Amino acid sequence: MAPNASKIERLKELRDKHGRTDGSVLPDPADPPKDLRQAQPRFRGLEAGHRACQGCGEALAARLVTEAAGPDVMISNATGCLEVFTTPWPQSAWRVPWIHSLFENAAAVASGMEAALKAQGKSTKVLAFGGDGGTFDIGFQALSGMLEREHNVLYVCFDNEAYMNTGIQRSGSTPHAARTTTSPPGKARMGKRHLKKDLLSIISAHHIPYGASTSVAYPADIRRKVRRAMEIQGPTFLLVHSPCPLGWGHDGALTIEIARLAVQSGLFPLVEMERGEVTDVMPIRKPVPVANYLKAQQRFRHLFAPDDPRALQEREHLQALADYNIEIYGLYSEEADPLDTDGADTVRRGGLAN
Amino acid sequence: MAAITRGAYARPGTSLAFKTGTWRVEIPYHKHWAAPCHAACPAGEDQQAWLAKIQEGKLHEAWNELVTANPMPAITGRVCPHPCEQACNRGIYDAPIAIHNIERFLGDEAIRLGWNYPLLRPTTPESPAVAVVGAGPSGLSAAYHLVRRGFRVNLFDALPEAGGLLRSAIPMTRLPREVLDSEIQRIFSLDGLRFHPRHRLGRDVSLSELQSDHAAVFMGPGAERSKAWDVDGAVPADLHQGLHLIKEWVDHGEIPTPKSVAIHGGGNTAVDLARIMKRRGVEEVYVITASGLPGPGTAPDDVLNVVPRELEEALEEGVVFFPHRTIQRLIMRGSKMIGVEMVHLKKLPGKGGRKSRVSFQGTERVLNVDMVIPSIGEAVDSAGFENLIGNANYFRPDDWGRLAEHPGVFVGGDARGDRGTVSAAIGDGCKAAMAIQAHVEQTEVIDAPRETVGYESLNVNYFEPKPRAYVAKIPVPERDDFTEIEQDMIYAQVVEEAGRCMSCGNCLACDNCWTFCPDNAVIKTRDVCSDGSHYLFDYEFCKGCGLCATECPCGFILMRPQD
Ligand SMILES: Cc1cc2nc3c(=O)[nH]c(=O)nc-3n(C[C@H](O)[C@H](O)[C@H](O)COP(=O)(O)OP(=O)(O)OC[C@H]3O[C@@H](n4cnc5c(N)ncnc54)[C@H](O)[C@@H]3O)c2cc1C
Ligand SMILES: Cc1ncc(C[n+]2csc(CCOP(=O)(O)OP(=O)(O)O)c2C)c(N)n1
Ligand code: SF4
Ligand code: SF4
Ligand code: SF4
Ligand code: SF4
Ligand SMILES: [Mg+2]
Repeated sequence: MAPNASKIERLKELRDKHGRTDGSVLPDPADPPKDLRQAQPRFRGLEAGHRACQGCGEALAARLVTEAAGPDVMISNATGCLEVFTTPWPQSAWRVPWIHSLFENAAAVASGMEAALKAQGKSTKVLAFGGDGGTFDIGFQALSGMLEREHNVLYVCFDNEAYMNTGIQRSGSTPHAARTTTSPPGKARMGKRHLKKDLLSIISAHHIPYGASTSVAYPADIRRKVRRAMEIQGPTFLLVHSPCPLGWGHDGALTIEIARLAVQSGLFPLVEMERGEVTDVMPIRKPVPVANYLKAQQRFRHLFAPDDPRALQEREHLQALADYNIEIYGLYSEEADPLDTDGADTVRRGGLAN
Repeated sequence: MAAITRGAYARPGTSLAFKTGTWRVEIPYHKHWAAPCHAACPAGEDQQAWLAKIQEGKLHEAWNELVTANPMPAITGRVCPHPCEQACNRGIYDAPIAIHNIERFLGDEAIRLGWNYPLLRPTTPESPAVAVVGAGPSGLSAAYHLVRRGFRVNLFDALPEAGGLLRSAIPMTRLPREVLDSEIQRIFSLDGLRFHPRHRLGRDVSLSELQSDHAAVFMGPGAERSKAWDVDGAVPADLHQGLHLIKEWVDHGEIPTPKSVAIHGGGNTAVDLARIMKRRGVEEVYVITASGLPGPGTAPDDVLNVVPRELEEALEEGVVFFPHRTIQRLIMRGSKMIGVEMVHLKKLPGKGGRKSRVSFQGTERVLNVDMVIPSIGEAVDSAGFENLIGNANYFRPDDWGRLAEHPGVFVGGDARGDRGTVSAAIGDGCKAAMAIQAHVEQTEVIDAPRETVGYESLNVNYFEPKPRAYVAKIPVPERDDFTEIEQDMIYAQVVEEAGRCMSCGNCLACDNCWTFCPDNAVIKTRDVCSDGSHYLFDYEFCKGCGLCATECPCGFILMRPQD
């Protein structure tokens, strides 16, 4: 069977299973669906009733990724907030096959799932989800192996820049100078001493066909990158910047605002890489000062201590890191681009403009 | 093969049994605000609502929405000073929406395509009748809004043709008479309206007659009587009032052409007259006005009361303005004018806070001119209805046009003394119609103004800067007495320009709340919900994080404490 024909059949099977039409038969306006939730014009892979904090960036990112990936997927999820808040026994917020084994082995489990599906001749895509702790640090060797063995898996790292589920410990992803419970600011240090690991470059060095960073502030960017990765037969990787109101110390209402500032300042560059080369970036229209991003979060509050000279030094250090990103990725462009940091989220009546 | 004994699974989507709505301490809700453009429109238009229809590509529906407030958009689109644009939030972002140009386009489309007014109730021969005196914009609007509400209307005007100052005074370069005729004709073709030309109240018909034949009387006689003008008792021999000269010019095309002229006043009449005289070859045309020119130092209520672009065009054409000044002496040689002495002045608060004019000694200056034309405003000519107004210059009704001492009589437009624009006259006609309906039905008029949404309530991250539409003007050397100076917008421009509207305080259907809710607690619907949006909150699951409220571009979502 041609892969396309099997895909079409598979989608029909899933539609029948979920009681949905293929869109050729519109709902009868005289007899509208009673349950508006059932009638939502989008696939809901991650349902309501999950127990994430108010305004959780990770919950939102997982919802957006799952929506864009569509129903024909299976997920392997590492231990972490996402795993815990979506599946308090006996409930599950997932509406796609989903499995959790351990903290460190999401990529290994995904590799096995993919191999099994392949043996059965099925085209269902395997996704692997992990937090930054589970990806940058503890699950890294499993991930590296999965990439090296060229499994057809999309690995998504929900980057909230610390081990949140166990109470905000520093990870390899925690930005320089941020406060966590294991990198407290004090006499000796201004928060985390080390730098955020450049994971995307390391992943790309595996010579994989596609790896990219994206952010919850730009849902359309997430959607596009997920779809791009879904089409590729082979290992792909997405790093999704996902603020954590509790761990970063900001109001849940500001999750998007803060994620946007991270991108607009250059501190979290949105980059696409293919076979180890940078192929595209989201240009920054007007770089915002890193301080705007920092001052919105309690985890950087010590960087605004009025009479500690280290505060300014560290702020300048972070600004320099952002400037460095802007420089090496060529993020700043003189001309406005419809898909740059200001244009990519533009809306008009009826939805996104671009 | 052995079964996996410790295997267990949860069914898909079973988290829906866990109602996270109980976590909420704050609750999101939709608030249907007034956009600043709406709040500023004297005619009461809801521009946001009709711009939204254009954004949906529905021009006819946009016009239908517009004419629920203003039956004459092709006229106001041309002559209104568009305070809506001064108030437009988009002006803070980049440049205000070209509301008046779009309004004019819709008005012209309606004329071109023969659109008819959507009415609320049909009139029948048994419907109560109302008398409307004066067929200027206030009377026409009152008549329209009354018929719309199912009343019969007898509309009286002293003149042979309807239109008031729109016909008799506003220059054709700003209001082509075909446009005026078309919009009046559409009002006159309403069933239930009868126009009685050449009927002057007090001459051809009496107030008591009107009152006995009608359930109510609306007075829209404008202000026709020139106010007496002199400078310290001195008056030039050949004095003509500005309004009189403009009317002569409109009727016969004649205007005096001295070598130089000083026009004293700061309204439309002064500026229109100055431009007409300049075009006819008067070399030096000066406007001496107590008001200020628009600029950073001038308070909004101190600015010259004209359409902003008229001032611009007048300056382009070479009219010279002396703002914040008055004439304090006429300089005569025998009975011939040779000049005026001006002095600086400003309206300043005195004792008790009331503003009065203070002139500044030492700022006197002589201006040599052959002619001076006063254009300082008119009062109501109350012949025939003196009992309604006494010896005051204007009526003093409440905001609905009701006269406290004369129940059943309503007033609007220039006759109030505190209006002075076409759109205000139109707004008065509408309010009076509502008050008349309440009077006849013995109910209360319902006034439920919405709160106005400020710029700070918007999230402008979701908009892109975009230049305002460019609308061409006839260049100065080509301007004559008839050709319209400001040109039309084309359809493509209208769509682009309406697309710049940020839908202040009302749902843009942008999907942001639906996209960003981490809890799937925003439900999108096909139908429009009662609050005017397509989105519902699912309070069973909404945790009250406030993300949707922050990311709503339009300020349409607010949070309040959960009770
Ligand atoms: C030169 C000039 C330019 C202007 N330009 C602008 C502009 O650009 N934009 C703007 O918004 N406004 C402008 N105005 C002001 C605007 O024209 C008036 O505010 C508006 O016309 C007032 O409408 P109204 O219905 O109250 O009165 P009017 O337009 O004065 O109409 C009153 C009508 O009542 C009739 N009438 C009077 N007495 C009686 C009676 N006793 N019995 C029967 N009928 C009677 C009159 O014949 C007349 O038709 C301008 C005014 C002038 C003079
Ligand atoms: C081998 C192992 N070590 C430690 C833990 C405890 N643990 C569970 S979740 C977690 C933190 C997860 O952090 P991250 O991967 O960043 O995901 P987040 O919770 O931040 O989304 C830790 C340390 C574990 N479950 N397994
Ligand atoms: S009548 Fe005037 S204020 Fe009202 S919308 Fe039209 S131009 Fe703007
Ligand atoms: S942007 Fe639109 S809704 Fe907002 S004030 Fe301007 S015209 Fe009105
Ligand atoms: S984003 Fe969702 S959960 Fe948060 S307040 Fe809005 S509807 Fe409620
Ligand atoms: S976010 Fe967009 S769709 Fe939601 S209420 Fe606001 S304007 Fe409407
Ligand atoms: Mg984490």
